[in-house]
Amino acid sequence: MENYPALIVVAPFVTGLLAGLFVWIEKRLSYPIVLAGLFISSFSAVQVLIRVMESGPIQYKMGGWSPPIGIEYRIDLLNAMVLCLVSGIAFLNLIASYRSAEKEIGDRVSSYYTVYNLFLTGLLGVTITGDLFNLYVLIEITSLTSYAQVAMGDRDRGPLASLNYIFIGVIGASFYLLGVGYLYMYTGSLNMADVAVLIKGSQGSSTVLVAFILCILGIWIKMALFPFHVWLPNAYTYSPVIFARVVAPLMTKVMVYIMLRLMITVFGYDYIFNTLNLSDAVVWLATIAVLAGGVMALAQKNLKKMLTYIIVSEIGYMVGGAWMGNQLGMTGAILHILNDALMTFALFLAVGNMVYRIDRVDITDLKGLFGKMPWTMAGFVLAAFSIVGVPPTCGFFSKWYLILGAMEKGAYHFAAALIISSLICAVLFFKVFEICFFESGSHGHDHSSHGPVAIEEAPVSMLIISGLVSLSLIVAGFYSGAIVNTIILPFLK
Amino acid sequence: MRILAFIVVCLTGAFLLYGTSEFPDWGDPNSPASLHVAAYYIEKTYEETHAPNFVTAVVTDYRGFDTMFETAVIFTAGIGCFLLLRDFRGKKEHYYHHIPTGVILHIKDEKKSLTIGKEFGYMDKEWVPPDLINKTVCRILIPFIQIYALYVVAHGDYSPGGGFQGGVIFGSSLILLAISYDLKTLVKRVSERLLGIFAALGVLIYAGTGVLCLVMGGNFLDYGVLAPLFPGMADHIRALGMLVVEIGVGIAVMAVMTIIYINIVSEGRHDEGL
Repeated sequence: MENYPALIVVAPFVTGLLAGLFVWIEKRLSYPIVLAGLFISSFSAVQVLIRVMESGPIQYKMGGWSPPIGIEYRIDLLNAMVLCLVSGIAFLNLIASYRSAEKEIGDRVSSYYTVYNLFLTGLLGVTITGDLFNLYVLIEITSLTSYAQVAMGDRDRGPLASLNYIFIGVIGASFYLLGVGYLYMYTGSLNMADVAVLIKGSQGSSTVLVAFILCILGIWIKMALFPFHVWLPNAYTYSPVIFARVVAPLMTKVMVYIMLRLMITVFGYDYIFNTLNLSDAVVWLATIAVLAGGVMALAQKNLKKMLTYIIVSEIGYMVGGAWMGNQLGMTGAILHILNDALMTFALFLAVGNMVYRIDRVDITDLKGLFGKMPWTMAGFVLAAFSIVGVPPTCGFFSKWYLILGAMEKGAYHFAAALIISSLICAVLFFKVFEICFFESGSHGHDHSSHGPVAIEEAPVSMLIISGLVSLSLIVAGFYSGAIVNTIILPFLK
Repeated sequence: MRILAFIVVCLTGAFLLYGTSEFPDWGDPNSPASLHVAAYYIEKTYEETHAPNFVTAVVTDYRGFDTMFETAVIFTAGIGCFLLLRDFRGKKEHYYHHIPTGVILHIKDEKKSLTIGKEFGYMDKEWVPPDLINKTVCRILIPFIQIYALYVVAHGDYSPGGGFQGGVIFGSSLILLAISYDLKTLVKRVSERLLGIFAALGVLIYAGTGVLCLVMGGNFLDYGVLAPLFPGMADHIRALGMLVVEIGVGIAVMAVMTIIYINIVSEGRHDEGL
């Protein structure tokens, strides 16, 4: 079928709206409708990926108008991969978080699903589009829905976290929009491929330079690269579990994808690395981001917040790899988009299960959790190993490519930062394991810490998804060679 | 800190000005922005879409996909307001006025209430005496505002206007009703359920038109393939498609404006407001 590219975005969009309609007619229907939409979306994404692998990039013209007159979707290997990732994670999360959403959001949950699907429409649309302004419109949808969802979380702190997020997010989005405006003034076009052709050969233009810096800066703010990260930890910590589980793995990764798209398709390697020669400066910035994220994570007492600082550190990995200016670094960055999304998803699934049972996840609340929630903790351990970068898990392989890339360029400081941050992660997670395993739980009224602890696991639906995703970390590790050879290297050629 | 912020703002401004140094002159007919796609729109719009107003054609046809999501942005604002502000808890204190005498009753017990009818009427806590002039003027004005709103929506592809503008005008007529009478009058006539359904339905009309195009075998939002459904209108099929989506936008915007107003002024309780 020719219309799979449109379905990827339209299916969650239309089902989200239908769910919003059914809230007022028959509340119970909104969940299955939303679920069906995400299923169609992920199915189409897989179909598109298969097609792109067989016969090269796909172009889809919205409204039948050819670009640059109309809006086009252009799907190559990179965004086909990211599309599968986004729609798959969204679908799995919706199944896994059904119970926790009901518990946390209560009677408003049926209208919440509308917002959830609109958020994913935004992320998918941003990933698939080949038009600079369409990308902005969908960033707007993504941001608006995430502000609303963050504010629905923690009763006391959610709204404030959301407000900070709004202020900084709006600045980021308007920087990007200004950049697109400058590009339009210079070229008269909004289509990415068309703009790329029109600005080729105008290396010294001040307009293109300002447009480039504004776009990249805007995306960095949205991505929460180190000096611009201040909104992220609170926003992700105080949002409801169902949202934290999907925003933490996907939002920053999709923004990294946009950065790559702007670098590769719109402005081009030649402009960035030869004309402007920005590689060294940005790799240093990324190095600082990696270290700063790690150090700030060490200072946290809340498990969720600690993980959000690890995300800040991981963003540094991907930015550093992408701006290394060589193929190995770029391979590492792209592979890390995939791996980091999976690892973060696995971690937040496990944390969501803990929150479902014990509500507060300060590190001291986790005592005796291995006995109480053995399956959840098994998933958590696997995900933690992957973040640290222990070999059979996928986290190791992308770090390996990143370090190789840094060595090839001679950016030893970045390689050192990667290793130090891995060590910091190891320290962090073993601190958590120690408390969970060795310190007996002090939650019960009776202090019978000698007897076997009663198992109080999360619901089965949550556990199955959590277990599957954690196992997929090892599978992704084994197949990372294949992923690099069939998706990433053909894309970069 | 304040000085630092000032310096940053100045530097950003200088940087933005630096970028404009290569801009074409103001209104330059040979600038890239007016030559590349803009020239195509001006030359071909009428021929291709039969819509005399080519701004509308660009907004709802050539770049109609963006506009669909812009409508979704507005819908999101509405549902966000509902999710965050709506408060279903009842009011603790009730005020009534005895219609024949004008005596005001204040009932502090939240379980007790009086039946509303000829004898007793609801009253807001911050009660303002009904202003006959305001009420009468608004009552006369509101229908005309609404007809004008419908005109703006329907005439969007001929003259400046369209769904967003028309929807806002229609929404403001409802808000005027709430201001000149009181919030309860509005909520009684236009229920929350109706507004919620309209908000989603409006965007669904837009997206549904796109899906219909998919079903008819075209690309998403390719109004041209809808021609078999409207025999005899093949020439104007694109203009007709634009009108349908404009109506959708109008409905959604009208409903969302009202939802936002009601939720914000009554702090989500839908009982009393400005």
